[in-house]
Parts: sequence; structure tokens; C-alpha cells
Amino acid sequence: MNLLAAIGRVFLNFLAATGRVAIFTGISVGHIFRPPFYPRLLLRQVIDIGYYSLPVVGLTAVFTGMVLALQSYSGFARFNAEGAVATVVVLSITRELAPVLAGLMVAGRIGAAMAAEIGTMRVTEQIDALSTLATNPYKYLVAPRLLAGMIMLPFCVLVADIIGVFGGYLISVHKLDFNPSVYLKNTWQFLEVIDVVSGLVKAAVFGFLISLMGCYHGYHSKGGAQGVGSATTNAVVSASILILASNYLITEAFFAQ
Amino acid sequence: MNGAPVKIVIRGLTKSFGAKHVLRKLDLDIFQGESLVVIGASGTGKSVLLKNIVGIMTPDAGSIKIDGEEVVGVTGNARDRINRKLGMLFQGSALFDSLPLWENVAFGLMSAHGVDKSTARDVAIERLRQVGLNSDSADRFPAEISAGAQKRVGLARAIAAEPEILFFDEPTTGIDPIMGDVIDGLIVKCVRDLGATALTITHDMESARRIGDRVAMIYDGKIVWAGDVENIDSSGNKFIDQFIHGRVDGPMTTELAGVGQA
Repeated sequence: MNLLAAIGRVFLNFLAATGRVAIFTGISVGHIFRPPFYPRLLLRQVIDIGYYSLPVVGLTAVFTGMVLALQSYSGFARFNAEGAVATVVVLSITRELAPVLAGLMVAGRIGAAMAAEIGTMRVTEQIDALSTLATNPYKYLVAPRLLAGMIMLPFCVLVADIIGVFGGYLISVHKLDFNPSVYLKNTWQFLEVIDVVSGLVKAAVFGFLISLMGCYHGYHSKGGAQGVGSATTNAVVSASILILASNYLITEAFFAQ
Repeated sequence: MNGAPVKIVIRGLTKSFGAKHVLRKLDLDIFQGESLVVIGASGTGKSVLLKNIVGIMTPDAGSIKIDGEEVVGVTGNARDRINRKLGMLFQGSALFDSLPLWENVAFGLMSAHGVDKSTARDVAIERLRQVGLNSDSADRFPAEISAGAQKRVGLARAIAAEPEILFFDEPTTGIDPIMGDVIDGLIVKCVRDLGATALTITHDMESARRIGDRVAMIYDGKIVWAGDVENIDSSGNKFIDQFIHGRVDGPMTTELAGVGQA
């Protein structure tokens, strides 16, 4: 009985947490569309999430593209299919690796920062101060971050697509002696619009989830420095899990036969 | 209070956190234009009372009326409209650390009152001057100034929009006695200049005597005494007597001893 009770308790806690996140999401999304708007705050978040994430996303993409070219070449050489390297690189990057890896990197960088910033504001009563100044914290703190996450992660992923393919090109042409024009031709030949679009849709969803988890855990942090630390950890872990889970669902929606 | 209308009416206010009952059907009237100080030991529900009034917390039961309008359960734009009447100085000042001091002071003006940036900056600098900070400090950040100066900025922010009601949460906690005296003086001056109604919560009796027209004592989730500040030494109330003289013996001894023995 104790085991069943423990399982039931965990399940009920999970449902309660899901409900809290759903309510938080509903309130926050509602404030994206209702005035007043804070364009200056949105711009700040756009720069934080988009511009300042570009170096880490770019580095991740270029090395991923390089490794992908090397791995697929050594694997495909076993059955004389080296010519497929360019196609494998571009499809893997645009469909999966750029959005997922960029999402995970941005979750570590931005999700943690959001949780820490909003969490500190919570435990130092700055969020309470916003309320007493007749300013809705959801509208002021959460809505701009959600919107910026949704807008800017696709931008980062588009850049990562280009840099990742370029990384594969560098290795293929300069190390594996592929003909540059043939490599580029093979890259374009089998690439379809949906490959890029599906990656960008994933990125928009991931950006929303990263911001949501950062804001949610920061907003509900308590207990001083330890609480802020826990919020930061929870934001990154939950965003990472949600990215991987939603990645499957979106892939299923786009490509399941 | 000399026939002044009641600004805030609190009836049956109840708030619990799990098994801990913090407020137990608390009743309190705050009259227009008065400065009421709520005193009480740590953990007796002073901050919870204040947070319920300003809408940061929602009570489990009871009623809070400001200018005759029920505010319990009011959210969104309606709550923002009520909060435009309020100003609050937080215990830890709660300044926005990403904004310079002048923007902290002008925040409510720009965000909730639609004042343009240039005008808001002028008002903020004037408010900073009122609390004894010169215009050179306007562009500094909260982390660059002392705790006492942060309290001054918090006070400037609270009075920036000339609110009808001011709340002060432990205004002298965490600062030295001299600065505490200065802050109390500023609070009295600001409340008087604005003609505002003020509610202060504190456990600092010196501060309470300086700030308050009237004093109410909270214990066990209820108001156990309320009266003019001049009468506090002759109240005849055993809770008040124990608290203002800082005695271990008295009606609150049992609970204090219980904590000590734990």
C-alpha cells in the first residue's frame, strides 16, 4: 500500500505541477496580446536571446557540421556511398541538429539567466514592488521573454543551418578531397523547403519552452539564494527535457508517413 | 479619529499557511489622513497583513475595503487601478537593480501613469532631492549606494506618484539608529506633505512613536490593542506593556519560552 501511495503522490504532484505550468502559460500568453506593450523590454530580450547567443550557437553548429561530415564519410565509405555525405549533412543539420543543439545551448545560456534574474527579483521582493507600482509582472517580465524566445531562436537556427553546412563543406572539401561544386550541388539537390521550415518551427517551439521554463521557475522561486539556484537548475533541466520530447512530436507531425 | 472617514476597513481577515494560522479574523480600521503603526513581535503576521492589503497575497477569508471598494479577489486592470492609489516602501527597499535610481523612482509614473520619460526624470530628481539625495546620484545603480540610501530611494519611489495611501514595511530594519531616525523623519514629512493615509508595520518602538498618530498591536493573528500613540504607555494592556518594555514575562511568555525550549 505504501508503494502505491507513493506512486499516487508522485502522479498527483506531477498533475498539479502540470496544471500550474498550464495556468502560468495561459496568463502569460494572454499578456502578449493585450496592451500595454513594452517594446524596449522586448528589444532587450531579442538582443539577449538572439544576438548574444550567436557565438555559442555558431560554434556548436560549425563543429557539429564538421564532425557529421567526418562520421558520415567514414561510415558511408564502407558501402561506397560517400557521395551522400553532403545530403546527409544538410538534412541532419536543418531538420534535427541545428534546432536541437541550438535549443539545448540556448536553454543552458538563456533559460538559466532568466530563472536567475526573475528568481532574484522574486526573493528580493522586486516582483512584489512591480505589483504595487500597478505594473503586471506577467506583462512586464514574462510576456517579452516568451515573445523574444519564439522570434529569436528560429533566427539563431537559420544562422546555425548555414554555419553547420559550411562546417561540413570545409571538412569535405579541404580534408576529404570532395569537389567543391559537386558538394554544393549535392547539398542543394535534395534539400526541400520543408526540411528548413520544420527546423525553424521546432526552433520557435523550443524558444517558447526555454523562456517559459526560465520564467516559470524564476517566478516561483523562494527561500533566498538556494531557491534561486534550484530554480536555475530546474529551468535548464525541464527546458532540455521538453525540447527533446517536443522534438519527437514535431518530427512526427512533419515527417511521419 | 476626530470624525475622519475610514479609508481602509478590514473585517474578519484570515490567512493560514498550511497548519499555521497567521491572521485569525482580524478587524482594523484606518482613518483618512492618519498614520497608523502596527506593532508586534516577529512572526505575528504584520507583513502578511500588509501584503494582503496591497494585493500581493490573497486572504483565505475576510474583507478589505479601500474607499468603500472591496479589493479582495480583485485582479488585472481593476487591481492596477486600485494600486495607483498606493505607494509602498519595502523592508529591503526592493529597488530594481537593473535600473538607475531615477528610473526606479520614475518607474510607476512611466509604467502606470503614462508620464513621458523626460518629465518623469524631472519628477524623479525632485523626489530624490526631497529625500536628501542630490541629482548626481540619479544615474547611479542601487548596488552602488548604501542600505540607508536605498531606503531613501525606496521612499522616493513610494511617493513619486503622490499616492493617497502609503505603506511602510519595517522602514528602519537593517539600518543604523541614526539613519533610522532620518528615515522616520522623512516618512513623517512625506506623509504630512502629501496628506496621505499611512500604514507602517514595525517592531521598532522608537520608530513607532516617531511615525505614528495611532498604534495597533497584533498578536496571535488579531489586533489586541489600538489607540493613540500618546496613550501607549498608559494603555493598561498587558500585551502592549510587555512589548514596549521588552519583558520576557507576560502573556506572550509561554509562546516565547516554547520557542526557546524547542
